[in-house]
Amino acid sequence: MSVERAEAGVTEFEQQARALLEQSADQLPGSVRSRLTQARYAALAARPARAPSFARRWVPAGAAVAAALALLVVYVPHGHDAAENPLGSAGLEDIELLTDSDAVPLNGDQDMDDDFYEWAADEAAGATAPAVGS
Amino acid sequence: MAAFASLDSETADLIPPGKTHLRDSTQDGARSLETFLASVERKAFRIAQIALRHEADALDVVQDAMMQLSTRYAARPPEEWRPLFYRILENRVRDVQRRRSVRNRVMAYLPWRGEDEEDPVDPIDQAVDRAPAPPAQLEADEAMAALEQAIAELPARQRQAFLLRNFEGLDVAETAAAMKCSQGSVKTHYFRALQALRTKLGEFRT
Repeated sequence: MSVERAEAGVTEFEQQARALLEQSADQLPGSVRSRLTQARYAALAARPARAPSFARRWVPAGAAVAAALALLVVYVPHGHDAAENPLGSAGLEDIELLTDSDAVPLNGDQDMDDDFYEWAADEAAGATAPAVGS
Repeated sequence: MAAFASLDSETADLIPPGKTHLRDSTQDGARSLETFLASVERKAFRIAQIALRHEADALDVVQDAMMQLSTRYAARPPEEWRPLFYRILENRVRDVQRRRSVRNRVMAYLPWRGEDEEDPVDPIDQAVDRAPAPPAQLEADEAMAALEQAIAELPARQRQAFLLRNFEGLDVAETAAAMKCSQGSVKTHYFRALQALRTKLGEFRT
């Protein structure tokens, strides 16, 4: 007898086995049937009232995202109020300095121009200071 | 149906007025779950009892399976409940068998064997029933006892395949879902179980 043949039809042996098993299930003692009923009621009572709906599941997450966005809008400085927020405008100026190719070099090259800067400073001081004897 | 009364009163408070369709769907869900559990509980108990050979353990296992299905999988479509329930049941049966195995190994090393932990023998259960049993019933009882013994001695997967297919009446696909294996494996386990039972029992005389 092959697997396929066994699957093809229910044999008499299988029918008799099933009948015996079903008879034994039908003839369970009253105490067992009572316990099974109690177990069923306990399981039903523990059942959640209903599964949370799609909206109920996603509303808290949506509210958190909205709150985070609101905080960003309030606290991140914008172009039109940069003057009112010195910290914000300073940050923007620093970025401009760093990205400007014509700005004063901030690496070791500035040592070469020390004489120039000293001269320029002296000139500026001489121009603003009152002349001696005048 | 008494369970519905308590369920309805509990859930009715949670549902706002004007949403009666939700209340109706909740009641329908509870009713269909109760119908399902009532339809499987006796067979589930017998399947657990044959595997564990212990009435109280079998009742505990069935109760656990019902509870888990109800609390975790009640929202699934009802057509999925049966394979899910029997998968949970088999997992619980294996848990009990594993615990027993560990306990037996531990007990083997102890000087006292824990005989006092055995269930006390009920003298009423042990009393011989002097009323003559009808011959047909007697024969059926003997055949059932032999069948139960033979099924219990099968390897776990063969026992599971035989009981789910033959006793519970699941089809091959449902049995495969319950056993978490392929349909081909179900056919093989079932075929081998049948062969083993035939060898042990021969044909039933009814």
